Amino acid sequence: MPQDMPPVGGYGPVQYKRNLPARGFRPIYYLLGMGAIVTYGWYKLFHGVREKNELAREKIWSRIHLIPLLQAEEDRDQVRRYYADKAREKELLGTDTKVYNSDRFIRPTFTYTPAQVTK
Amino acid sequence: MPDHIPKVDEIGATSAPLMSASYFIGDRCRAFNDDYMKCKAEANGRGELECLKEGRKVTRCAASVIKDINTHCLDQFNAHWNCLENNNHRLFECRAPEMKLNNCVFDKLGLKKTIPGAPEGDTPVHLRPKQLNSIEHSGKNQW
Repeated sequence: MPQDMPPVGGYGPVQYKRNLPARGFRPIYYLLGMGAIVTYGWYKLFHGVREKNELAREKIWSRIHLIPLLQAEEDRDQVRRYYADKAREKELLGTDTKVYNSDRFIRPTFTYTPAQVTK
Repeated sequence: MPDHIPKVDEIGATSAPLMSASYFIGDRCRAFNDDYMKCKAEANGRGELECLKEGRKVTRCAASVIKDINTHCLDQFNAHWNCLENNNHRLFECRAPEMKLNNCVFDKLGLKKTIPGAPEGDTPVHLRPKQLNSIEHSGKNQW
């Protein structure tokens, strides 16, 4: 029995490639476009950060100008309480005790609150 | 207050008016403020008791600024601090009223807002018409 042989002249070419059209631009252009967008974003961010720094400087100086004023008010109140405390002690105990072995002004941990506030 | 300490009227202003007036207080009262802070720093922990005199000067000076602004620029002042009050105390949302207040205070009282340490050659941030960080006026001119 004769063996099966290829046809005379060989087989025809086999189509193994898909024949799809390449859409859009070349990839390098997408990369460049992305780079342009990112650069623009960084540029805006740069100026935004610079301005934020200046705004922070403005805010901190507005507070620095107020600190002595607020501190003076608070200190006066502390001193008023301090002398009132001493007077109260003098009245109740008749002595003038020093609690701390130091001349520094020490903010009291507990403060006296009047038991009956009537106005 | 005990009798041996002279009385002084407290400033009695809330945060927004104080913030609005802060640069003018800083301009007029710089010497008193520095004096007081120096006294406190050098008083060896007794500043509360020993710097009361300097403290009274600070308060009187600041009160004089507030009083002068109230007499001469009350409308602009009210507009600006109300704007601050409504904008979470963000100065950059209130540039338009601030500009009016600054001009009025400079004309009438001669006090000028300058931000120490700002880079030379740049427009100071409070004079830029476009506030990049402003949400309400996002990127638009405020005046």
